[in-house]
Amino acid sequence: MSETDAPILDESVLSNLSSSVDDDRSFVVELIETFLADGPDQLSAIDAARTHDDAEALVRPAHTLKSSSATVGAMRLSATARELEMAGRGGALGEGIDGGIARLRADWQASVDALRAWMAGPGR
Amino acid sequence: MTGTGVALVVDDSRVNRLVLVRLLSGLDLEVMEAENGAEALELLRATPSAFDVVLLDVLMPELDGYATLEAIKADEAVRHVPVLVVSGVEELDSVVRCIELGAADYLTKPINPRVLQARVSASLSAKHLRDLELEYLEQQRTLTATIERQKTELSRFLSPQISSLISSPEGERLLSGHRRQITVAFCDLRGFTSFAEQADPEEMLAVLGEYHGMIGGAILDHGGTLEHFAGDGVMVFFNDPVEQDDHVERAVRMAVDMRTQFAVLEAGWRKRGYELGFGVGIAVGYATLGRIGFEGRYDYGAIGNVVILASRLSSQATANQILISQRAAGMVEDVVDVESVGELQIKGLSRPVSASNVLVLR
Repeated sequence: MSETDAPILDESVLSNLSSSVDDDRSFVVELIETFLADGPDQLSAIDAARTHDDAEALVRPAHTLKSSSATVGAMRLSATARELEMAGRGGALGEGIDGGIARLRADWQASVDALRAWMAGPGR
Repeated sequence: MTGTGVALVVDDSRVNRLVLVRLLSGLDLEVMEAENGAEALELLRATPSAFDVVLLDVLMPELDGYATLEAIKADEAVRHVPVLVVSGVEELDSVVRCIELGAADYLTKPINPRVLQARVSASLSAKHLRDLELEYLEQQRTLTATIERQKTELSRFLSPQISSLISSPEGERLLSGHRRQITVAFCDLRGFTSFAEQADPEEMLAVLGEYHGMIGGAILDHGGTLEHFAGDGVMVFFNDPVEQDDHVERAVRMAVDMRTQFAVLEAGWRKRGYELGFGVGIAVGYATLGRIGFEGRYDYGAIGNVVILASRLSSQATANQILISQRAAGMVEDVVDVESVGELQIKGLSRPVSASNVLVLR
């Protein structure tokens, strides 16, 4: 599995989202908080799938994480989640899987920090 | 804009649901949510008419998008609700499969608000049209049922030929009046007036009932058009509104059939002390046919000398005679044996008329 060079946080995604809801910043914040609250569930589900060597069980949480992270602009996390989803769809968890999951956790932490920083910021 | 309606968002990701709900609310839609296909089906089936559009994620726990879509399309009550499939950009294969399964359209994630608005509006318009179409079809069904019922009722009051004529494409043209060669047969009972004077009304109605039953069956068997009956007198014509090449022969065969069956009835009546005889007059010629009467009460009738002639021949016929005009006799000489009864003086006609009595069919 190769590392991605997508940005940790693409702020334009958040500003587009904001403008599509009449610059309702509180909605964007609510969305980010929801993402931050639900993300750990998907991470644990991915871990559990790895523990049971269950490729099929890995697909759905990785897929959900891929699309929800893209929604809030966490593009690197989304790309890594996509790689894991594809690996899961392949039917067998290969050698690189542990490295992929480790990167996913690191991307997750980086995304959390970036999103919190964005929320603490002045907004746009 | 889309106007109001109710959308159902089906996605296992809370983040995705939040975005869709928010964007759809901005389109003046009321939005309900389901976390997976099973929940969505439960909501849809509980109130099938409540939903105007479904936004369906593909990859979900419990029941995925495909299975949900299949279940929706297989359910008569909810299949009309348009389904928009929401999927990732790299899942175009699954989009194709969803469209094949009956999805109305698709959206890719991340959701572009303007594309969402356009697709949802289009689906709502299609749904609205579909609803109008269903309403229209329902009205059509009711109308058709009403017409069928009226036709059935009509056919009990009218000759089958006339009731089907009324609902046929050329009905109006024929009803408004046309000229055609027809064969007219008049039948009535000899001795009926004196019988009616003596008999109880119940007896008279019973005899008339048997007589009309016999006559009616013979008319149907030979494809005659019943013009009217009045007491014991019955007028039938052939070759209109349905054209019949053998109209004279049909009239003669009908009359002979009636005479044969009358003999059976007569035997029964004789035991009860009634003296009744049966006579028929048949003539062929041109008549004007169509709607006759006045607004509120029309009959399908025939007017012409041929009607008068047949009627007079019937009056002149003695018991068991079938008097047939010379012209009509000439047209069926191959199928019946007749005996001339000479020239008859007919009221209303200046010259005497040659006529024959039908003896037997060959």
